[in-house]
Amino acid sequence: MTQKRSRMLGAVMAGVLALSLAACGSGSSNSSSDTSTTPTDTTKTTTDNGNSNSNEKITITFQNIYPDTTDPKNQMLQKIVKQYQTDHPNITIELDSLNTDQQKLKLKTQAASKEVPDITIVNPAAQMQPFIDADLFAPLNDMIEQNGLKDTFQKGILDYYTFNGNVYALPDGNNIGVVYYNKSLFEKAGVKVPTTFEEMVEVVKQLKAKGITPMAIGEKDSWTGSFLFMNVLLRTNGGPGFLKDVVDGKKTFEDPAFKEAVDAFQSLVQAGAFQDGVTSFDYNAGENLFKTGKTAMYFMGSWATGGIETSEAGKDNNVGVFKFPTVNGKGNPDEFMLAPGSAFAVSKNSKHLKETLDFLNYFMLNYPKETFEAKGAVGIAQTVDGDFKAAGYSDMAMDVLNLFKDVKGGDLAFDNTMNPGTAQAHLSSIQNLFVAKKDASEVAKEHQSAYEENK
Amino acid sequence: MSQSVLIPATKPVIEQRRRGLSVKKTIVFIFFGILLVTQLYPLLWLLIYSLKTNEEILSGSFFAFPAIWQWENYANAVGGGKYWNYLSNSLFVTSITMAGVIFLSSLAAFAITRFRWKYGQVVMLIFLLGMMIPMQGTLLPLMVIFKNMNILNTHLSLILPYIAFQTPISVFILSGFMRTIPQEIEESAIMDGAGVFRIFRSIILPVSVPPIMTVCILTFINIWNEYIMAATFISSEKLKTLPFGVYSFVSQYSVNYGAIGAFLVLGALPVIIIYFLLAEKITKGMVAGAVKG
Amino acid sequence: MNVLKVSRWTIAAFVLPCLLLYVCLVFIPILVSIYSGTLDWNGIGASKFVGFANYTKMFTNDSVFWPALGRTFLLAGFSMLVQVPIALFVAILISRYVRKPNFLVSSYFLPVILSVVVIGQLWKTIYNPASMGGMINQILIQLGLDSWTHSWLTEPKVAIFAVILVSLWQYLGYHILIQFTGIQNIPADIYEAAKIDGAEGFKADRYITLPMIVPIFKISVVLSFIGSLQSFDLIMVMTGGGPAHATDVISSHMYNMSFLSMKYGYGSAIATFLVFVCLLATLIINFLFSRLDKRYS
Repeated sequence: MTQKRSRMLGAVMAGVLALSLAACGSGSSNSSSDTSTTPTDTTKTTTDNGNSNSNEKITITFQNIYPDTTDPKNQMLQKIVKQYQTDHPNITIELDSLNTDQQKLKLKTQAASKEVPDITIVNPAAQMQPFIDADLFAPLNDMIEQNGLKDTFQKGILDYYTFNGNVYALPDGNNIGVVYYNKSLFEKAGVKVPTTFEEMVEVVKQLKAKGITPMAIGEKDSWTGSFLFMNVLLRTNGGPGFLKDVVDGKKTFEDPAFKEAVDAFQSLVQAGAFQDGVTSFDYNAGENLFKTGKTAMYFMGSWATGGIETSEAGKDNNVGVFKFPTVNGKGNPDEFMLAPGSAFAVSKNSKHLKETLDFLNYFMLNYPKETFEAKGAVGIAQTVDGDFKAAGYSDMAMDVLNLFKDVKGGDLAFDNTMNPGTAQAHLSSIQNLFVAKKDASEVAKEHQSAYEENK
Repeated sequence: MSQSVLIPATKPVIEQRRRGLSVKKTIVFIFFGILLVTQLYPLLWLLIYSLKTNEEILSGSFFAFPAIWQWENYANAVGGGKYWNYLSNSLFVTSITMAGVIFLSSLAAFAITRFRWKYGQVVMLIFLLGMMIPMQGTLLPLMVIFKNMNILNTHLSLILPYIAFQTPISVFILSGFMRTIPQEIEESAIMDGAGVFRIFRSIILPVSVPPIMTVCILTFINIWNEYIMAATFISSEKLKTLPFGVYSFVSQYSVNYGAIGAFLVLGALPVIIIYFLLAEKITKGMVAGAVKG
Repeated sequence: MNVLKVSRWTIAAFVLPCLLLYVCLVFIPILVSIYSGTLDWNGIGASKFVGFANYTKMFTNDSVFWPALGRTFLLAGFSMLVQVPIALFVAILISRYVRKPNFLVSSYFLPVILSVVVIGQLWKTIYNPASMGGMINQILIQLGLDSWTHSWLTEPKVAIFAVILVSLWQYLGYHILIQFTGIQNIPADIYEAAKIDGAEGFKADRYITLPMIVPIFKISVVLSFIGSLQSFDLIMVMTGGGPAHATDVISSHMYNMSFLSMKYGYGSAIATFLVFVCLLATLIINFLFSRLDKRYS
């Protein structure tokens, strides 16, 4: 009796389970209609392509990394979106604004189930590769030809987002690595802007002797240290392309140039260049040390310019910039660490591909003008027509803009060149140099074995 | 009644003790005081923090007051953080989740501990298996499931996994408690002709108030600040919950710490108020529900 | 043993809603994870079946895995053997000495409600180097103990303990609350009866409170164990697992592998391993407590 009952119970449970599974797996057949829109003419659109216009309500999801409403970039985003919605009353742009880390996680999760939002944000080159391999993004070749959008971009910048001849994303920025320095602190310690790396280490020692923390860095976010290290490597290698040579099998990480870079980098760390507790400072806390005048130097991408010029330390043109110097007489200061920005990509499976492309075209066309007005146009990827000086940009901003004119090539950040597995190993290995002295060949070996493992 | 008879007899002993205790008592209360300061300090710190500028916060002086009280942090939090919208979403999601967890897991715990059937322990084991699953590990499969159920970007896509993730520990706690309820209670209820549902509703549930409170609190603290799932499954502004507000002040190359602080104060405030208002009731409820015997 | 004989439909009505939701949204994802753990997959593109290769690598060729697992258990150990007993002690003291305990218990509970973002930030300023106004180091210097100062969060050997301390501190009030309610639920007449037998004060605690609190104590222990294994947010906020993995725990290692190194298959293998460790640990805890239960009754 009991046995019979339990058997039946088991059967019932199995049945319900199967049912529920079926429910879990039932297809999304009733998704909102994605039928084509009838191309009637619009009244106010400035664009002449894809006049998506009917009474059909369309929602475009725009995943972005500008969530802070007090940030000029967010305000600019809101402004352009609002204008576009006024011009296209049937289109709603749904902004999914997330902080950077969360956006990366979300996009990866979405990509795994092919649920990529209409517009999303990706990083250039190697970091984009997996998404391209999975065929998730729509090519933008035709779109950028419209309204002359392509010509607004700086020469060569789109190459970092081009795969197999197709452009897949449009960048929001293009920056270079520079060294910011606090003029009054330099004066106080009686030091001059260093022209070689050896002088820089000397400057560090002199600042230190005067009780001034020489350099700030937010090494909890380990890419910051890597960015600096890669600039040293760019010099010791005598020019760009070290990582590419490794990928092409022409060099290994045990190359003398790499070891030399490790040694030079360690000489800086060992001279006491960085603040105490450096690996617990995140990017912002590190940068803040410089902004509040507590440290004399700060190596960072030129995107930091806007924040620094309005900071306490940056008042009265107290902050200057210089190029990262030569190391052991090697390298060319006009070669910079290049940081093509995060970029807007369009989902290949977007239900409203045409409208999405049209919107992104509009967005990117208005982007330079709006960022210029919001005083955020230092280091954007497009050419800006406008007089920076007259618009009230600071002397430091002008200095940075002048550095851009000297750029004769350079390298990308490590994680934009190498696969993610090797990049993570590298980041942690460099972070370790901040807390422990290591043998250069050991560091090189760590890199090499991580690279071979992740090939 | 027996108490009143006993008291005179023991009185001298107690008094003797009391004198001895007073030193001990002082030490204990000093200890309570220190603990109170360390546990309450963060709130005070947060309040001050929320009125500082970014530079003041990041320079990290521990006790310092802001030079100028930055009330605009609160303006930014309410305006930019879309506080009211997020708050109502959080309240909605959290309350539905709590109700769901209590309802479903008390039913299951009741069946596991009080019914005479073969698979009770098997079911329990299945639940135990899921008790310690880290949420990050299930994000991807859940995404696929929700996509196919077509509930991505709805509150359901939060409520369902929240309930599901809370059930194992809740069933564990509730069944641990229900196992200790003496069987005579049911036996006499059956004699009176009460059905299963009535036994559950009018005997077991009232008695189980204390562990249910524990489950409530546990569910609440796990859900209220949950961000990873929320950020992954919700995209629409109008559906977002409080943690989005906190993280909305984190941009790519800048963080608005003051506004984060203000938003956290605003996020924690309703909870603290509700909690302190109900604290008496919560404890009372727990005591009233205590098992006698 | 159980009294209620009911129809299978009744059982189904009670158990199935809960079980189905759980199976669909927790259990099946675990099964999927177990499967993903046998793949070489970046989480986005094409995948390749590699059998147990991920596990072989995990056990034999991953310099982060074992230390991270060790730190996870270190945290769990501290939590179960230090935090929970202290909480019980405080709970006993409160129930003994405080007439209106609500305010006290609620206040102790507060740090739990506050987001980890706040807690992390707060403790970072406490741990800061003296030059940045870190409280601990400044106090040490004032006491003339300069040699005791540390860069608490960045010295590889010290950092994990610094993080553990914060975790213990944050959840102390939580366990106090749980145990305190447990003590409140011990019927007063038992103490009355004991008093007649001459058992009062700590003697009463030894023979009444402790045995009666065992089930609640068990819940506390299990919760602290779960909390330790899943501790992720606090580590991310305070150290990000650094410097150079010195504070990585198993969940942060899993996250790094799955989503940053983009080895989703490998990350899933770690998750699977974690599931089985957890199951084993739960069974052990259950076993130990049933022994304890028997001893007391």
